[in-house]
Amino acid sequence: MASTSTLTTATGAKRARPRRASWYAGLLGSDFAWGLAFVLPYLAVFLLFVIYPVAYGLWLGSDPRSYTKLFADPIYIETIINTVIYLAVGVNVKLFLALLLSGFFMRPGWWTKTLLLVFILPWAVPAIPTFISWHWMLNGQWGLINNAIWDLFQTDGPPWLDVAHLAMGSVIVAYIWKWLPFWTVIFLAGRMAIPKELYEAGAVDGATGFRRFVHITFPLMANLYIVCTLLSTIWTLGDFNTVHFVSGGGPALQTHVLATLGIRDAFELADPNMGMAAVITALPLLIPLVIFLMRKLSTSEVHL
Amino acid sequence: MSTVARRRLGNAGAGLVGILILIWTLLPLYNMVLVAVQQKEDVFATNVFPPHPTLESFYAVFEESYWYLANFWRQMGNSAYIGVAVALLTLAIGSMTSYAITRLRIRLGWLLTNAALVTYVIPMSFLAIPFYRIMKTYGLADNAWAVILVEVTFATPYAIFIFSQYSASIPHELDEAARIDGASPLQIFFRIYLPLMAPALVAIGTYALLLAWNEYLYAFLLLSSDSTITVPVALGKFLNSDEAPWNYLMAASIVYALPPLVIYYIFRRYMSAGLTMGGVKG
Amino acid sequence: MRSWHRRGLVAAFGLGAAMALTLPIPARAAGKTVVIWWNQGFYQAEDQAMKDSVAAWEKATGNKVELTFSNGSDLPAKVVAALTTGEVPDIVYADTGDFLLIPQNAWNDKLVDVSDVVDSQKSEYNKAALEAGRYYDNVTHKRSYYGVPLKEQALHVEVWKPLVEEAGYKMSDIPKQWDKYFDFFEDVQKKLRAKGKRIYGLGYSLATKDSDSTYLFNQFLVAYGGGGIVTPDGKLHADDPKVREAAIKALDKLTKPYKEGFVPPGAINWGDPDNNNAFYARQIVMTPNATISIAVAQMEKTEQYMHEIVTQQLPLGPDGKPVTSLVAVKQAFIPKGAKNVEGAKDFLKSFIQPKNLDNYLKQARGRWTPVMPSIVKSDPYWLDPSDPHRHVSVSQQIGDNVPIMPWFMSFNPAYADVNAEQIWGKAEANVMTGGMTPEKAVDIALGQIKADFAKYPVPTE
Repeated sequence: MASTSTLTTATGAKRARPRRASWYAGLLGSDFAWGLAFVLPYLAVFLLFVIYPVAYGLWLGSDPRSYTKLFADPIYIETIINTVIYLAVGVNVKLFLALLLSGFFMRPGWWTKTLLLVFILPWAVPAIPTFISWHWMLNGQWGLINNAIWDLFQTDGPPWLDVAHLAMGSVIVAYIWKWLPFWTVIFLAGRMAIPKELYEAGAVDGATGFRRFVHITFPLMANLYIVCTLLSTIWTLGDFNTVHFVSGGGPALQTHVLATLGIRDAFELADPNMGMAAVITALPLLIPLVIFLMRKLSTSEVHL
Repeated sequence: MSTVARRRLGNAGAGLVGILILIWTLLPLYNMVLVAVQQKEDVFATNVFPPHPTLESFYAVFEESYWYLANFWRQMGNSAYIGVAVALLTLAIGSMTSYAITRLRIRLGWLLTNAALVTYVIPMSFLAIPFYRIMKTYGLADNAWAVILVEVTFATPYAIFIFSQYSASIPHELDEAARIDGASPLQIFFRIYLPLMAPALVAIGTYALLLAWNEYLYAFLLLSSDSTITVPVALGKFLNSDEAPWNYLMAASIVYALPPLVIYYIFRRYMSAGLTMGGVKG
Repeated sequence: MRSWHRRGLVAAFGLGAAMALTLPIPARAAGKTVVIWWNQGFYQAEDQAMKDSVAAWEKATGNKVELTFSNGSDLPAKVVAALTTGEVPDIVYADTGDFLLIPQNAWNDKLVDVSDVVDSQKSEYNKAALEAGRYYDNVTHKRSYYGVPLKEQALHVEVWKPLVEEAGYKMSDIPKQWDKYFDFFEDVQKKLRAKGKRIYGLGYSLATKDSDSTYLFNQFLVAYGGGGIVTPDGKLHADDPKVREAAIKALDKLTKPYKEGFVPPGAINWGDPDNNNAFYARQIVMTPNATISIAVAQMEKTEQYMHEIVTQQLPLGPDGKPVTSLVAVKQAFIPKGAKNVEGAKDFLKSFIQPKNLDNYLKQARGRWTPVMPSIVKSDPYWLDPSDPHRHVSVSQQIGDNVPIMPWFMSFNPAYADVNAEQIWGKAEANVMTGGMTPEKAVDIALGQIKADFAKYPVPTE
C-alpha cells in the first residue's frame, strides 16, 4: 500500500530523514513480510545445506580417538607444513603477480586487449583437464617439458613430480597458473576505478612510474588487496583439485595438504571420522581469517 | 635517457612480458591439444610436436565410439543442466537475499551477511561425507539436484556479497520514487533492481556456471550411474584404464572446455564491471 | 564417547529437514531388486562379461538387478561413504576389497556372514581361497566367511622380447635364480643405452599408491623368507630375525636399482595403470604385474600378443627353490543393512557355480585366474598352450607345481591398515629419496606395523 503522507521529494537531507523513518515505520508490517519472503529461500538453503552438514561434520570429527590417530600419523606434520607453504607462497606470489599484471594490462592498445583474452583462458577452461595436462606435462620420462629439454640439451630434465620439494613447487605453479587471471581481472577493475584526475594531479607533482604506483595506486588498492588475500587464503585452504590431480599427494605422500589428507584418511584408510578430524584441525587458522574478513568487509567499504 | 628512448625500452619490455605471458598461459593448453591430436601409440613417445597429427580422437568423442565415451553427450547434457541450474538458482536466491538486505534493509541483514560468510568457514571439500549422508536423507541420491544444491550453497554467499556491493551504486531514491508511485517491493525488484543489476547478474551467473562446470569431488561422490554422472567424473574413469587412450581423454576434455569458454568470452565485458563495481575507498 | 544429545540433535535436524522438504524418498521395489556395485574392468570385455552374467540370472529367476560400475580407485571411496551412512547396496565387488574393505569391516561386524554361499561350493575352492575368505569378527568373536571368493591373481613378470634381443641376448639367456634374474635386466638396460635408447631395464612399481607396489614388495618379502611375518592365527612376528632380514633384503633389492638409475624415477609415483603405460611406451624392458592385463589388453595386436610380449612366472628363489606365490583372492561381499540379502545370496550362489564362473572369467579374456581347480582341469581354455600368456599365470596359481599362500589380511585385519598406510611404500621412499639405510627403514616400518597390530588383538583359537 502506498504511503498516504504527503512526501515532497527529498530536497534537504535533514528533512527527508525523519520523514523516511516514519514512512518506513508505518509500513513496517508489510515491509517486514516482504523482507522475510525475499530471504526465505536463502534461509532454507542455509538451514538445510549449511547448518546440518556442518553439524554432522563436527559430530563425525568429535571423537578424541580420531585426533590421537591423526597426530600419530607420520605424514600429518608434513601435511601441515605443506599446507602452510602452499598458502603462504601460493596466495601471496599469485596476488602480487596479479597486482603487477593488472598494471600491465592497463596499457592502451589492441594487442594488450587481445593478450588479456588469451590470458583469461586458464580460468575459463575447466580445472580437471588442465590439471591432468599439467600432470602429464611434468612427467619426468615422457612429459612435454622434459621432452623439450631432451631435444634441446640431450639431458634428462628435473624429476618434477618425483622429488618432494619439486613436486610441491609444481603444484604451487599449477595453482598460480589457474587462478592468476581471475585475481588479475579483479585488480584490474580496481585500478580502473581509480579516478584519472588523481593520476593527472600526481603527474603535475612529478609522480610517474614507480613513484606513482607507490603513492597513488597502492594506497588506494591496499584494502582491496587485503580482502583478496583473506578470501584467497580461505578458498585455497579448501582446494582439493590442484594437489589431487597434479601430484596426487606424491611422491610417497609427501605433498599432501589438509584438504587432500582428509579425503585420503576418509577413503583410503576407510576412516571418515579421522578424515573430518584432519580438516577440523584447519579451523584454528580458518576461523580467525573469516572473522577478520567479516570485519574488513563491513567496516572499510571495500568493494570486491 | 630521452623520452623516446625510454618509451621504446618500455615497449620492448612490455613486448617481452607479453611473450612470456603467452608462453606461460598456452603451454599446458598446448599440451592438451598435443595429446589430443596424437595417435594412441605416440602419446607416450616423448614428442614435443605431434608426429602424425590426426583428428581421430575427436571423431571418437563425437561418435561416442569408445566404450568409456559411450555416454559422453548424455554426460555433457548433465553438466550443462547442472551448470545452468546452479547459475539460475544462485542468481535468484542471491539477488533476492541481497535485495532484502540492501534495499529493504531488513533489521538483521548484517546477521545474514555474516551467516553467509560462515559457509566459508569449512571449505567445500571438507564437507564431502556429510553431504553424501544428507543427500541420501533428502532422497536425492544419484540425482543431479544433489550436486546443484551443493554448488548453490557455496556460490550464493559470494553472490550476495557482489550484489550487495553493486547495489550500493544504485541510488535509493529510485526505490523511494517507485514506492511513492505505489509499487510493491516485488515490482521494484523486477522493474528497477534487476535491470540495473544486470552486469552483476551476468558476472555472477557466469561465475556460478564455471564453478559448477569445474566441480569434480561432489559430482563423483553424489552421482553414480553412467546416465547421471557429469563429464569430469567420466573423464576420471579414464585415468584408471590399462589401455590408456589418453588422446581420447584430452579430446573429450577439449570438447568439455568449449562451452564455458564461449560463455565467458560472450560475457567478458560484464565480468570485470560486475565483479568489482565501485571503488576502493577506505 | 558420542553423547546421545548430539545424536539426537542431528537426528532431529535430519527428520525435520526431510519432513520440511517433503521430497519423496524413493521406495524400493519390495525385495525383488538386487543392487550390485561392481568394479569396472580394465577393458570392455570384462564389464560385458558381468553384464551378461547378470542378464542370465535375471532371465532365469525373474528378479531385477541394478548394476553399477565404478572404476578401481573410485569404488572404495563410494563404498566407505555408503558404509558410513548406512545406505548400502546389496552386493559389492571391488578389486581391492580383500585389501582393506573386507578385513576391516568384517572385524567391525559390518558385513553379512556368507558361509552358506561359500559352503555351496566348498569342495570346489582351492585351499588358499577358502583361507582368504575367512575373517575374524571382533564383535561376535569368531572367524567366519565374510567374502565370497570369485577369482585370484598373483605376481608374475611381463617382458619385451624384442628389447631383450636388441640387447644381444636370447630369451633363454635369462637366469632362473632370483637375484640374477633381476640383475639381468640392468645389463639389458646398459646395452640398450649404449645404442642411444632412452630406456630403463626394471619397471618396478615403488609408489605409495594403489596396490601394484604393495604387491611387489610383499612378494619379494616372501621370496626372501619373510612369509611368516603374520601367521594364520593372526599373530605378528615382527621381532623374528628371519623376517627382519628378509625385509631388509627385499627393500634393498628393490630400491638399489632405483638409486642407480635402472628404474624410471617416475616409478615413485606409479599408480596401478602406470607401469602398464610405461611398458606399452617401451620405456621399460620388463615389469612385474599382478595380472596378465598388460598382454590381454593388446589381444587384437596379434604380433605383440603372440610374439613380442612374454609372460614369465616368478623366477626361482634366492635359494634356487620355487617361491611361494602370494595369491590375492578377489571376493564379493554383502554389507550389513543391505535391503535384499536373500536376493544377493541367491545371485552369488548362482554366480559361483563352476560353469557360470568359468564363463564369466573366460569372457573377461582370462585376466583373472579361477579359484576352483576343477575349472582349470575341465576347461582346456586355461592351460591351452597355444596362448602364450594364460597358461603361464594360471599354472603359477593353481597350487600344483608352485606353492601358494593367501595374503595376510585375512589372518589379521591389521595388515590391511599396513597396506592402506603404505608403510612399506614409505620405507621404500625413505631409502630411495630419504637417504636412509634399508636397515633403519625396515626398523621404522616394523615399529609402525607393531603399532597397527596392537589395535587388533586377535585371540588364539
